[in-house]
Amino acid sequence: MASQPIPRRVFLQRSGAAVIGASVFGFPQLIPSRVLGQANGQPGAKDRLNVAHIGLGSMGNAHLGYMLARQSLGDLNVVAVCDVDDRRLATAVKSCGGMATPYRDYRYILERKDVDAVVIATPDHWHACQTVHACESGKHVYVEKPACGTIEEGKAMVRAARSAKVAVQVGSQGRSQREAFYAHQYIANGMLGRVHTVKCWHYASPSDDNALPDSEPPPELDWDLWLGPLPWRPYNRRYLHGVFRWMLESGGGQIRDRGAHVMSNALHFMGADHTGPVTIETKGRVPTKGLWDSAIDMEVTYQFKKPDWTLIWAQPGEMVPYPDRQKLKNEGIREGYGAVYYGDKDKLVVWVGDGQVYTERKAIEYRPPAGGVKVPQSPDFDHHEDWFEGIKTGRKTMMNIEAGVATSFLCVLGNLSLVCGRKLKWDPVKQEIVGDEQARRLMSRPQRYPYVL
Amino acid sequence: MNTPNFLAAASAGFAATLTQAADAPAVSRLVAEIQSIDDKVRGPAWQNAGPVGAPAVKPLAGLLTHADFEIARSAKRALYQIVRHAGRPGSEKAAGAVERELLAALAADRTAAAKRDLLWMLSEIGGSGAVSPIAALLTDVELREDARCVLQRIPGSKPIGALKKALAKAPADFQAALADALRARGQKVRGHPSLKLAPTKQTSVKAEA
Repeated sequence: MASQPIPRRVFLQRSGAAVIGASVFGFPQLIPSRVLGQANGQPGAKDRLNVAHIGLGSMGNAHLGYMLARQSLGDLNVVAVCDVDDRRLATAVKSCGGMATPYRDYRYILERKDVDAVVIATPDHWHACQTVHACESGKHVYVEKPACGTIEEGKAMVRAARSAKVAVQVGSQGRSQREAFYAHQYIANGMLGRVHTVKCWHYASPSDDNALPDSEPPPELDWDLWLGPLPWRPYNRRYLHGVFRWMLESGGGQIRDRGAHVMSNALHFMGADHTGPVTIETKGRVPTKGLWDSAIDMEVTYQFKKPDWTLIWAQPGEMVPYPDRQKLKNEGIREGYGAVYYGDKDKLVVWVGDGQVYTERKAIEYRPPAGGVKVPQSPDFDHHEDWFEGIKTGRKTMMNIEAGVATSFLCVLGNLSLVCGRKLKWDPVKQEIVGDEQARRLMSRPQRYPYVL
Repeated sequence: MNTPNFLAAASAGFAATLTQAADAPAVSRLVAEIQSIDDKVRGPAWQNAGPVGAPAVKPLAGLLTHADFEIARSAKRALYQIVRHAGRPGSEKAAGAVERELLAALAADRTAAAKRDLLWMLSEIGGSGAVSPIAALLTDVELREDARCVLQRIPGSKPIGALKKALAKAPADFQAALADALRARGQKVRGHPSLKLAPTKQTSVKAEA
């Protein structure tokens, strides 16, 4: 039978007990001493986790809203907010009711000894630097997906998190959702037989139909800091905000935006977080005009070995309509992306994959037999809560940095095969491209100083 | 030169001449289509530019500063297609030819923005022969950071030597970047502590009371 969600307060008390146990086994450094000051349940104001937010766009504000709600429950303090756009920063300061200090440069936050944890929701080209720097400064990290922009960035993120022994959660929150748990449980208990193919579908990326020439940046924006690690170039309005996703350098298209959710679930359900494909082959169509250069349509075939299975990312692919049209309407289910898991006995559809995950009734109603495979479950099916638990107990988070990087590698390699125009061979143990000097060079992108790993 | 080698060289030269002759219309067509104001002509032209190869580099580099930003952008993308086609495994000759053309384009009188693009193309395909011309740009205030990054990416010992040499002579405000590049290449560098965690950018947004 599936576990029932644990009430949050009870969880806090239980995790307090877990912390005491954990400290006996040698990783007390994972928990801020102030937070541990209270043995049972609710900490005092000065003993709460101090959280800072870096990046205050749409996802950044969603995280901020969540944390402010938790602050109002007395669970934590939001102590700092940071953005390179002063307008966004001023809005966030207001949202925090004056309780958070504003910064343009996130490195001021990392200097603060009282900050325990950071939430990073910047464009993709910043994720690795900010995560590595935060880990090196001893902060716990929640970083938006996809984790990294290049292979070498991903490796550096893993090294930094391991070395600092901090809890990192990557924002592929689909793994923490209730119906993802049911789908995972169903697949892991062999109800599909041996799964040999996973086919993802997702609607196309847009093209830039309103191309503009380069211009001066607006006064509220620190363009140099927005670019950060990227090579310098003049400002263009079509780089930001939000639309950074459609640039290969700063976003990478749907395969990185939603692929980091849908393929995250695929690796999770297949128990393949610690593996990787051996070949990657991409076919695609890129825009003929405008600034954005990520593929409009694409199909990426990833071949895994030992065990053998195939993962296909297809844009648009073959959408499976969600069967309950009334529920779809009522709950705003975004059926435009998802995946079908094909086994030798049966198949299973998993719709959406991010903050929403839906699957078929047979998986929802399934309960594993005694001795069946138990799959991990986030507390309250809440991805942030899972991060907090990781901070408190030192256990791996649901979308830990290794898993986040493994997923991100799929996205990176899919795009690399497209830009190189050829099939790539990958060594999943050494985590490097094989037999292609140019593609190997593209495993990293030297960063503009001082915005370096 | 013995006879078989002479014949082989003559044969290779003849083949190259034939190839160049055959390429000339393809280059002209590509360059003409890249300058089309219709993206339905321009787009497929740059997307299929890869096999046109080295002979197209010079005219396309000349379009990097075209007044129509969409044409300039298409020229840049066509060049990248050529670089990535030539960079495929087993095509070292093609890669060498493209590298030489890129270096020639880099040496020509161009804007800093165009040279930046050419530098990053060389980062993908340049070998030891590209190191000296790129290293020469480490003293150019506008281009030195891109040149440093490119040398960091090109494999082999020659870029490391060039970075070390540059560090010995670099102005104070560029030394930390060069030291970082050397460390990224596995070199031990004394002094020049990293500035990556040093905050520098203040906001005018105030905390509310």
